[in-house]
Amino acid sequence: MTLLCLIAIWLGGFGLVRWMFPQPLRWSLHNISLFSLGVGTGAGVASCLYFLTLILAGPGYAPLASVAGAALVISLAPGLFAQPKAPALNWAEGSAIPWYLTALFVLAMALAVTMFVGAVTASPHGDEAAWSIWNLRARFLFRAGPFWRDAFSSDLSWTHLDYPLLVPGLIALCWKLANQESTDAPIAIAFLFALGTTGVLVGALGALRGKVYALLAGTLLLGTASFIALSAALYGDVPLSFYILATLALLCLQDRYPDNLSFCTLAGLMAGFAAWSRNEGAFFVVAVIVARVVALFRFHQRAAIVPQLIRILAGLAAPLAVFITFKLRLAGPNEYLSQPASLILKHLIDIGRWILTAEGMVIVLFNFGRFLIPIILALALYWYLVRFRVDARDRAGLATAGIALSLTLAAQLLTDILYLANLPLEVNTSFERILVQLWPAALLMFFLASGPLQLVAPKPPEKGSRDKKTGKAVRQTR
Amino acid sequence: MARHQFALLSLAAIAILSSFWFLVDVLGVATQRSKAFGVSTFETRFDEFRKTIQPHAVYGYISDNSPNDPSALAEFHLTQYTLAPAIIKPSRTEELVIVNYHSKQLDGRLLMANHLAPFRDFGNGVALAKPEPTRTRKAR
Repeated sequence: MTLLCLIAIWLGGFGLVRWMFPQPLRWSLHNISLFSLGVGTGAGVASCLYFLTLILAGPGYAPLASVAGAALVISLAPGLFAQPKAPALNWAEGSAIPWYLTALFVLAMALAVTMFVGAVTASPHGDEAAWSIWNLRARFLFRAGPFWRDAFSSDLSWTHLDYPLLVPGLIALCWKLANQESTDAPIAIAFLFALGTTGVLVGALGALRGKVYALLAGTLLLGTASFIALSAALYGDVPLSFYILATLALLCLQDRYPDNLSFCTLAGLMAGFAAWSRNEGAFFVVAVIVARVVALFRFHQRAAIVPQLIRILAGLAAPLAVFITFKLRLAGPNEYLSQPASLILKHLIDIGRWILTAEGMVIVLFNFGRFLIPIILALALYWYLVRFRVDARDRAGLATAGIALSLTLAAQLLTDILYLANLPLEVNTSFERILVQLWPAALLMFFLASGPLQLVAPKPPEKGSRDKKTGKAVRQTR
Repeated sequence: MARHQFALLSLAAIAILSSFWFLVDVLGVATQRSKAFGVSTFETRFDEFRKTIQPHAVYGYISDNSPNDPSALAEFHLTQYTLAPAIIKPSRTEELVIVNYHSKQLDGRLLMANHLAPFRDFGNGVALAKPEPTRTRKAR
């Protein structure tokens, strides 16, 4: 029953994004992308509705089931009956696909699924930070009935009362609708987000650059052990990475289809859900808006700034309103903001903290992902061999992604430097998580900027064939 | 063409080999995992007591772990996770205090040192205690 609820949530999300980008229901890159985006859309919408129902109508089954049912019908019906209209996301033209690349991608997916299943079998409740924060909150929301506000009791301040509720809310919603508490819900949610992140990366790169880049990036993401491990640990970092990737991928697609501003609306919605999934997502919301304005200004698309911003803000409005309501009405005080200014100033001028952070980041960059060879060196080798060549159409999107990711990372590191008492512990335990949040989007950027890959010798033109551009007969030379 | 193939294959090979390597680790942990400590084991220990839990209840908590024992905090978190929606406080002045002990029998000295009187022993290292009367008055 829990899994049925999740499938319904996923289908609801798919219906919503299909309503925005309708194309015929068949096996296609377009529908792979919509199904992948549907994971995050359905999860975000369901979690927001659960929270609003909880504060407006209480934890009863009837109001929640009514709202969930109505939301499913409202999102699914228009999506399924929408008439196909442009744009359709198709594989971008590119080099021919060598057979081994598809095989490697399938192998990477099989290994990732086995890793995930192995890890969740060993720890079905996830790692300590997952069950003691996210799943604990879900248990309070589900088990406490009319006393659900106990989840935010000051006696539980060690559980980070200001953490947003996307993941715990979604788990509690599944339990409530299924009327049964099991570890299936958090595990399935984690799996769907990992799958969805891979799908969005493959879908976006497939449409922007072609199948080779899409499969290669997908293989690399699925081969990132810490991405799979954090997903199986049931943390909130992979959902956040999904929303960061989806926002930036949609903005990159917006540059390819400038006439359809629905990409910006959906990007705004995804950015809002990023804030609703983890506090770091709020940094990302500010960063992506700044980045988009700067990028459009820099690449001479000033006329697009206002219309795009309006659409982004329209998409952002609902989840941001939920986020703000949560912060004002329920969330406990942020442990960072309650620190005295003198201590923050002391941290700011402590050069040792800056060096420790920089040193920690360099080490993590080389250890990241538990690759056998530092992935940063492997990517550098790839760059040396292939080089970068950015299509003029992708410059604004690439700049948006680069600035947004840099600002988000900088904001997180600065927060650590200014506020954390035990900085060495944070450096050792959290820097890898921070990078995992940004990693799928960083892969999108890297392969969007990659030079053209020539993997298979081009077929010689057939006798009597004509050049596509000039229409002249092609003469074969020996 | 060859250099492009090499670039692509090197990235994909690193990803696949790293996955294999990590998979061996994961499967090793999955098959050798000790059952002595973990959420499921802890929940089983607290099964009897869990049946008596009411929402909105608040309990104190003590254990026989030494303060420097790294598992002390994890066990407190596990207790809270297991007993939600009751609220567990690391305090010995609540009306009822959960005693998490690891010996075969509850050591009276642990209770005396914390000014507690035994109330009910659920077995499996889980007991409830009450503050001694003088202690309760002081707390109030």
